[in-house]
This record gives sequence, structure tokens and C-alpha cells, in this order.
Amino acid sequence: MKTFRLNPSSRTWMQRLLNALMGAGVLFGTLTLLIALAGQPIGASYRILLQGAIGFPPSEQMTPLDAWDGVLHDMTLLLLTGLSVGLALQAGLFNIGAAGQLLMGALIAAWLGVQQGIPSSLHLPLTLLAGAFAGALWALVPALLKVWRGAHEVITTIMFNYIALYLTHWLVVEYLKDPAGAAPQTAPVRASAQLPPLGNFIATSWGIVLTVVIAMLLWAILYRTVWGYETRATGANRDAADAAGIPTRRRILEAMLLAGALAGLAGAIEVCGSQYRFFEGFPSEYGFDGIAVALMGANHPAWTTLTAFALGALRNGAYNLHVVTGAPKEIAMIVQAVLILYVAALRLRRGRLEG
Amino acid sequence: MGEVFDLQLINTALRQATPLILAALGGLMSERTGVINIGLEGKILMGAFAGAYGALLTGSPWVGLGCAILIGLLFALLHAVATQEFRTDHVVSGVAINLLALGLSTYLFRQLILPREERGLSSVVRGFTPFQADWLVRVPILGALLKDQTWLVLFAVVLPFALFWVLNQTRWGLRVYAVGNDAVKARTMGVPVKRVRYVGVLLSGVLAGIAGAFLTLASADQFRENMSAGRGFIALAALIFGRWHPLGAAAAAFGFGFFEALQMRLQGQPLFGVQLPTDLLLMLPYLLTVIALAGSFGKMKPPSDLGNP
Repeated sequence: MKTFRLNPSSRTWMQRLLNALMGAGVLFGTLTLLIALAGQPIGASYRILLQGAIGFPPSEQMTPLDAWDGVLHDMTLLLLTGLSVGLALQAGLFNIGAAGQLLMGALIAAWLGVQQGIPSSLHLPLTLLAGAFAGALWALVPALLKVWRGAHEVITTIMFNYIALYLTHWLVVEYLKDPAGAAPQTAPVRASAQLPPLGNFIATSWGIVLTVVIAMLLWAILYRTVWGYETRATGANRDAADAAGIPTRRRILEAMLLAGALAGLAGAIEVCGSQYRFFEGFPSEYGFDGIAVALMGANHPAWTTLTAFALGALRNGAYNLHVVTGAPKEIAMIVQAVLILYVAALRLRRGRLEG
Repeated sequence: MGEVFDLQLINTALRQATPLILAALGGLMSERTGVINIGLEGKILMGAFAGAYGALLTGSPWVGLGCAILIGLLFALLHAVATQEFRTDHVVSGVAINLLALGLSTYLFRQLILPREERGLSSVVRGFTPFQADWLVRVPILGALLKDQTWLVLFAVVLPFALFWVLNQTRWGLRVYAVGNDAVKARTMGVPVKRVRYVGVLLSGVLAGIAGAFLTLASADQFRENMSAGRGFIALAALIFGRWHPLGAAAAAFGFGFFEALQMRLQGQPLFGVQLPTDLLLMLPYLLTVIALAGSFGKMKPPSDLGNP
């Protein structure tokens, strides 16, 4: 299955349909294989998967609202980290550092969220902004090193992930720990800094709405402004963009900062809308999932939104299967990895991902 | 407090550094041919699992080592085929391999090893026998350094020099140099670029697999979820810090192993009257690598013609 095309955007509809169908084949093939190898009945397992993913068919342990709650929560984080990785890729950078940026955003949000004396109407927006700012700051050094010294951003962002991991751990254990308990975690954020749930019927916070609005804004910025055009041109061919007079260094720097802000915001939303505190072992692996989301979403905000929802559903379905039958919950992770390889093998690569 | 630095500390440092040296040299073999390899972490993890499971089934650490090498090869082959045949982005393929390895090793652990434990069988592996009463241990300083170590540590000490020789003195080393620096020119000169890259990537799988096997067969005695714990990325850091040179990479890996040993020894005690937080010590390899990248040396050497077979 080799495609030697110079320009993937000239693919015909037929080929795209074929690719999508083969992708579905890869997805369900892997899934079925893993379920069978785990010794579970396939039909019943798919029903349990669907219950966790979309709440249908309804069951007693898992109402549709429970399922949607889990999926929307994951979708929020996957979409923000996916947009982060995708935006950086549009500018030609590979942001492996969303995990670290998310951690820094979460920690700063948790720190600001417990402070007293901030007007309560400003507390929540300030906390979210601080998280985004922290994420942007964490992306600044890799971005500067890329622009000034040509240091490969993949390496520096990986290093910054680990630096963030140890730095946040140190800070939460030594300085920001909740004095009321022994556990290495911050005190819960004040009510004024919490993102309210969508309604009293579902626990998912307004973070999901905020995130989808951001995805739409990002689409408008990328495809309807000069800045977006210049950023995409930089990613497509930096030399050509340079020759055309586009300040490529600035665009790269700005795109990376914005990407860091998106990942930092993911951390802040997780703190303000779901966990209400920062703790040792805060879930940062969403940062890596963002790579899969961006890749499968072809770096386009609309497709990224759809992918974030689909992968969120897959994760929650697999998790439900794990809870109900005891099958390993890593099934979702393996399927995700296989999908990345499949999509990447189709040559949906950096800089020329507009399909 | 003067008891912190002694030969035992170097002994522990060697033990901590061994998987890092092996994996860093594996990464070197791949990256010197121009194939970026951030999938070391996943290969170490799979090697650790295969090593443990192979040894668990047969009772022989050698079979375990064989399984680890085999699975390392398999994952490396995946990377080689993806990057060379399907012209996948090297970083994307590496990310997918790490994710696949984390998922698969945990999945297999829950399916194959945990049920054994539930049946009351031990999951403790019979690893390699350490040096204890051999003549080696009676040599004055060397003995203290190698006491309770396995042959894998010696292997990791000798390997950098062997690779240095191979890369600098053999025809194949010359070919690797040619392919890594200008693949187009190399191809014009009749060097089989693809074959050289395949060999480099597969060697990285072998060495990362051995590094993983070291964790279960010479260090921890049993497999645990995600037990590679970022070693593949420290190895990557060592590779860059050592400027893609076998001796440099090995020295950097030893240095990073030393930090780990020091952190284990200190356990929160003050050093020279200064309280060094554990987290900051653990952060040091990554921080130093970023600083090295920011400095005048250490420009990343990306594959010269990424994607062309």
C-alpha cells in the first residue's frame, strides 16, 4: 500500500473514502483482536464498549448521562491538547511538550485558585488565564531555542516535560501542599475559581463549551486571517515563506506560545472544572494523547474536534469494558497507537496536512 | 557526612547507568544513520516485559534475554518499515511506538503475569548471577566496583569502546557516517542507504531490548507496569549531551546514572550542609541537556533527506 504522491491534497474523494474505510477496518480489527485475546465474548464486549462510549444501549450501571459526562470530560482535554499540537504543527513545529505545559498550567491555576482577596467575578477568568500563561511560558524556552539556536523542538520539549514533572512535584510537596492534610496535594480551589457544571444533571463543566468555542476561534484565526495564512505558509515551506517576506521566526515563536497556552489552559480547566486541586501524579498523559488527536484530525480544528470526541468515546468505552469485565483498560491505548501508525503511514505529515 | 562519596556509590552509579548506556548507544546507532529514534523508551519497556516473561516461563535468564532482543528487534523493524517504506515522520512513528509499548506491555502483563500471581505462582524472575566470589571481585578497586554486578554491566562498559572502533575503523562505520551526513551523496557513491539505515535501526532495537532485559533480569527481579520510567528519554538526553559520539554518550549516561545513585544515597540528607531536593537532582539530566542544546555545541543532526528511501 504505497502512495507516492507529491501533494496529498490532490487525492480524489474515492481515495479518501478508501482510506477512511481502511482506517475503520484497522480500528475495528485491532479492537476485536484485543477483545478476543483478553478472552472476552466479542458481541457482548462491543455492547459494553458502546454503553461507555455513547450510553447506548442504556444499562443500569451506566446511564447515557454518565457516559456523556465521561466522554465530554475527556474530550475537553483531548481537544485542547490536540489543538495545541495541531497549531504548532501548522507552523512546522512538533510540540511533544503539551504534557509539561498542561502540568504547569494546572499547578499555577491550582495555586491562584486558592488565593484569597481576588474579586470573585474575576477569580475564575484570572485563574484560567494564569494557567494558559504558565503553559505559554513553558513553551517559550523551547521556542526560543528553536528560533535562535536551531535546537530541535522535539528534544527540548521532551526534556521540558520531565523538568515540569519534577518541578511541579517538588513545588506541591515542599511549598504548595494543603496544610490541612498529609497528602501531597494543594488545597481545593475556592468556589469563586471553579468552573460550574453544565447543569445539575451532568458533572461536566462549562470547560467543554469554552473549549469548542476556542476551536472555532482557532479555525477563524488560522484560515481567515493574515496571521493564520502566514503561519501555515511558514509550516508548509519555511524557505519559501522567508522568501515571500513573512517573518517566519516570529510566526513560529507566536504559534508555539499559543500552543503552550492551549495546553496550559487544558490543565487549568481540569483543575477548575474537575479535580479542583493539583496533586502528585496529576494526569498529564493527555498531553501525549494530543499528538494522536492532532494527527488524526489533520491539524484542522474541525476534524480535531471530531477526533477528540471519537477518542474520548473510545477511552470511556474501553474503560467501561475494563470496569464491567476486567479486560485490560490499555486496549484504548493500543488502538490509539495503531491508528497513529496507520494515519502517519498515509503520509499525512507535518506541513502538508490540509486534506 | 564524608561517607557519601565512596566506591559503593560508583558501584550503584554503574548499575543505574547500565540500561542508560545500552539504550543511548542503541539510539546512537539509529541516529548516526539519520533515523530519529524517540521510541527507545517503548523498546526498553517491551524488552523488560519480554525478558521477565521469557525467564519466568523457562527459568533461564538467557532465554529471557533472547526474548527481549527479539521483541526489541520487532519494534525496531516496525520503526524501520514505517520510516523507510511508508516514509512516515520519524517522530510520529517513535511516539506511536512508545504508546504501543506502554499499552501492550501493560495489557500483556495483566493477561499473562497477573493471572499467574492470582494462582499463587511467584512472578519473581531468576535473573543473571552477580559476581560475588569470582577472581574479579578480589581485584582491589575493580572488585568493589563490580561486586554484586552482572556481566551486563561489564558489557555496557566495553560496548562504547567497541562501537567507537567500529564507527571509526571499519568500512561499515564509514558508510554510516556517509549516510548520516548526506544520504543523497552516499547513494550516488553506491552506498546502500536503506540497508545501512535498517541495520542501524535494528541495532537500536537490540540494544534497547537488552537495556530492558537488564531491568528485569539484573536489577528488579520482576516486571511492573511502566517500569522503564523514562529511562529511554534520559538515554536520548545522554545521546545528545554526548554529541552523538559513542564515548561521549556513554560518559553522559554514566553521569546521569551517577545523579540517580547520588539521589538514592542521599535520600533527602544534606550534602555539604545543603539540602538538595530529590526532585531537583532527578531533573538535572534534562536541564543539563537543554543547557547543552542552548550552548554553542549540540546542534541536532536531523536526517539529511527525511523520508526519501
